[in-house]
Amino acid sequence: MIRLLAMALVDLAAALLPARLGHWGEAMRRETGEIAAPAEALRFAFGCLRGAIGEAMRVHGGDGAMWHGRGWVGFCAIGATGLGIAYMAIGGAPFGYPLRNLAALLIGFLAVGIVTHLPRTRLLAAGPVLLALGLFLLAASLLGVSNEGATRWISIYGLSIQPSLVLVPVLAIGFAAVRDRLSMLGVIAAAGALALQPDRAMAGALAAGLAALALVRPERKVWLALLAASAGSVATLLQPDVQPAMPFVDQILFTAFAVHPLAGLMVVAGSLLLLVPARARWGRDPGYAVFGALWLAIVLAAALGNYPTPLVGYGGSAIVGYLLSMLGLPKAIGATDGVADLPRREAEHGVLRTSIA
Amino acid sequence: MVRNRSLSPAARNLLAILLEAGENWSHGYALGRAAGIKSGTLYPLLIRLEGQGHLEAQWQPPSEPGRPARHAYRLSADGRALARELLRGVAPALAGKPA
Repeated sequence: MIRLLAMALVDLAAALLPARLGHWGEAMRRETGEIAAPAEALRFAFGCLRGAIGEAMRVHGGDGAMWHGRGWVGFCAIGATGLGIAYMAIGGAPFGYPLRNLAALLIGFLAVGIVTHLPRTRLLAAGPVLLALGLFLLAASLLGVSNEGATRWISIYGLSIQPSLVLVPVLAIGFAAVRDRLSMLGVIAAAGALALQPDRAMAGALAAGLAALALVRPERKVWLALLAASAGSVATLLQPDVQPAMPFVDQILFTAFAVHPLAGLMVVAGSLLLLVPARARWGRDPGYAVFGALWLAIVLAAALGNYPTPLVGYGGSAIVGYLLSMLGLPKAIGATDGVADLPRREAEHGVLRTSIA
Repeated sequence: MVRNRSLSPAARNLLAILLEAGENWSHGYALGRAAGIKSGTLYPLLIRLEGQGHLEAQWQPPSEPGRPARHAYRLSADGRALARELLRGVAPALAGKPA
């Protein structure tokens, strides 16, 4: 079993390496196979995976520190969804589950592509868009589908969608990019919506994202938005939130290990993969700070309570939401981040910062 | 761009082991153990060295029938010269050189 795990890890390492380093992946694989002690082979394979991730990031980024942050969101979404599909296959999930996650991945990319190509108009400026998203979440909380006292879903052709997982990430990250009055009102509306639902996980995630933003951009509008999100989060804690755990959706960070150690490892690796894009410029670009804090909070909530495990668990809302996150992020991550770089950085910023803003 | 960055202990150990091996070929696992570095550090270093032309790598036929071929490494002539300089601490480190 341990040897099998070691070989699976080193296979993953080989797959992550860029094509031109393919022979190195094969070298790692064969070397791992030569190690007699299974535990030692596992340690060696873990190291190979760590090295391969580093090489993949370095090569994709070129020799400078320039690499595409938004591209990494897409890459990590594919990786995490793929690991989740593998976990579901090992765990014997219904055939439709992985297919729906795959469909959500395609829909997410399609949505990003469509939004990226929208014309620049006044109505599609960041402020009105983010306010509209906040109000839509509020409407979903009031008119959506209820279950066990919570109203946080909408039904489209019989498919249950959680709008907060789709829209809160892009709303918070978009606010990090454009911190105007309308955007702030959009965030406050979202905080109210999450308090009404109630949804402790997403309310906590929104507050965590805004707290990270307040650390790097301590401005009045940010503090107001954080205050609203914190109040909303406290409100969710004061209400009962007793959703039962759904198989392949909730609590899988632990239960996957009972299915198979490899399945557990895939779920954990997929969850960690979600945070990789934030690692690049945490603390330097506000969008990445919000991105990291928000998705970390969503993963932690899934570990601690009956909340969907994003991307690796069954459920398309988080997949689409994760991909939409990239709309508020800069296109490219530069090595430098000084005042002199501001005009260039603004030019590189994401859709919510240029096309719509 | 070449930067003057000090050689990491892992790179120093690896170069020392490869230099000592001379024209003999070494395998990845044995190299890591001899140099006291983990595979997550070893392979990026080897990849970098090979990319810069300081390392020769080849697939060696299996020692026993039924076993797979293994990747083996040794320093090139340039690599040995560079290693000698680096280990004396007079040349720019590998980390700063373009791959």
